[in-house]
Amino acid sequence: MFFAEFFEAIRDFTETGGQVLLVIGVLIFVMWMLILERALYFFIWHKQLKQQTIASWNARQDKSSWFAEQIRQAQISRVMLKLNVSVPIIQALVALCPLLGLMGTVTGMIEVFDVMAISGSGNARSMASGVSKATIPTMAGMVGALSGVFASTWLARIGKTEKTHIEDAMAMEH
Amino acid sequence: MKSILKTFTLVASFVATSAFAQDSDKALDLDQLLRQLEQGQIIQNKDNQRREQEFAAKVSEQDQMLNDATQRRNRALQTSEELERQFQENEFKLADMDEALTTRLGSLKELFGVLQQVAGDTKGKFQNSVISAQIQGRATFLDELAQSMGKSSKLASIDEIERVWFEVQREMTESGKVTKFTTDVVEAGGEKVNKEVVRVGSFALVSDGKYLDMNPSTGTVAELVRQPAGRYGESAEELQQSSGELVQFGLDPTGGSILGLLVQAPNFKERIEQGGIVGYIILVVGAIGLLLALERLISLTLVRTKVNKQLKAKQANSNNPLGRVLKVREEFPDVDTETLELKLTEAILGEVPKLGRNLTIIKIISVVAPLMGLLGTVTGMINTFQAITLFGTGDPKLMAGGISTALMTTVLGLVVAIPMTLLYAMLNTRSKNIVYILQEQASGVIAERAERG
Repeated sequence: MFFAEFFEAIRDFTETGGQVLLVIGVLIFVMWMLILERALYFFIWHKQLKQQTIASWNARQDKSSWFAEQIRQAQISRVMLKLNVSVPIIQALVALCPLLGLMGTVTGMIEVFDVMAISGSGNARSMASGVSKATIPTMAGMVGALSGVFASTWLARIGKTEKTHIEDAMAMEH
Repeated sequence: MKSILKTFTLVASFVATSAFAQDSDKALDLDQLLRQLEQGQIIQNKDNQRREQEFAAKVSEQDQMLNDATQRRNRALQTSEELERQFQENEFKLADMDEALTTRLGSLKELFGVLQQVAGDTKGKFQNSVISAQIQGRATFLDELAQSMGKSSKLASIDEIERVWFEVQREMTESGKVTKFTTDVVEAGGEKVNKEVVRVGSFALVSDGKYLDMNPSTGTVAELVRQPAGRYGESAEELQQSSGELVQFGLDPTGGSILGLLVQAPNFKERIEQGGIVGYIILVVGAIGLLLALERLISLTLVRTKVNKQLKAKQANSNNPLGRVLKVREEFPDVDTETLELKLTEAILGEVPKLGRNLTIIKIISVVAPLMGLLGTVTGMINTFQAITLFGTGDPKLMAGGISTALMTTVLGLVVAIPMTLLYAMLNTRSKNIVYILQEQASGVIAERAERG
């Protein structure tokens, strides 16, 4: 019973927001799934891979030749490639949120003006549905973008700091 | 007076003759013309003399006619006076009788006034109520009653008064019921079908999962050309199939006006047409971008799988960028490390442009599409303001058309830009990753292999 009410509340909300709100919802969902996946990767698998890489470097005899430098670069880049897999996509999704919000605004305004074309500007109540379709997606887009901005900056910073950490840990001998 | 007349005649005849002379007989000279005029005058004089004689002969007759006319006028005056007197008497009588009527009617007069008003109001309500689709011909009786009451020449009978009461009571009772009945329904295709219709109070008419609409002026029932969302149709179907148990039903509390607006809302194709030329250009650019992106997506995916395979394989395969870079080592087995590095960099630089091909165009499209949308917005607004200059701000409908055109192009611009941005991010990551592998791994892979043996 509780879930039915919950579901109905969500359905009503998406219906007042229009189809664009649904798209924004899917977008934010995908974005947060990707962010969570990255966070999980960072806290669990990345640590292992980092330790393995550093250990294999420390186990090497030769740490000063050109070959050693190239191998070191390759190993670091493999770790970084795995760490940064979907970060650019997340950043693009964050940038898309306000754009989609804007699209919701514009489609909502189109509806308002359609109503105006049919019934004139006297009937404020009939314009209300268009106005809510214009404002709710904007709000949702803003919320999505703001929540994603922090996460994506955090992920980007992790990438940078981890790279310097690994580079420090895998020192060359001269 | 007479002389003026003569001059006129002269001039007229002269003009006529000269015109005649010009037209057909040019040989007629001035002498002949003079002679003709003379003859004409003689004939005219004769005519005039004859007329004078006739007039003199009829003088006595004229006197007689004058006398007759005077007598007739006097008689008419007399009748008029008599009628006027009678009219005034009748006026008084009428006023007396009116007064008597008012006294005798007393409070009844007020009652008839109310009855007339109620009959008129109810008629209006009945015309718009969907209950009229089931019970037909109610409005005609009320209309006749209201009109005959308005003339005040006839009083309402007790039967009629009771029937008004009955009709109002019936409307009230029926508006609380959900009933089924059969009637002629005009389907969306245009054919008339007699079928079962469910009426929900005075709010909605549904049949076979479709919402119906009643035309107030003709009383005909027709399917709405555009139906609301599917689940409302399902609820209507459920309602029709239910036999007394409770079912959920999507109701339009305005009695059809919200459903009526559905028909007027433009559909997808009409929306795109609103965008105009700018809209179409945006769509074409978007299609080009999409095709390029698809080509890149497929080729980059293929390249990536091949590169991944190459990373694991021992032999350098020339069907992928990494393989081609690794081949450098095989081609120059005996060079020193610095030369090898230079050769590798050269090989990588040769591969990078192939991977990043067309990506710039996709990026440009993702940036240009919203700008073109903005262009459409501005041109649309220019049209709107031209409409305002011509017709003023009095009619919002005139402005609304231009504004929806303006907004539509913005929407199209965003619709193109959003997937393009996303695709660009995806493709860019893929191509960057491959380049990354080439740059940072190629030398590493070579070094590892050299160490292994």
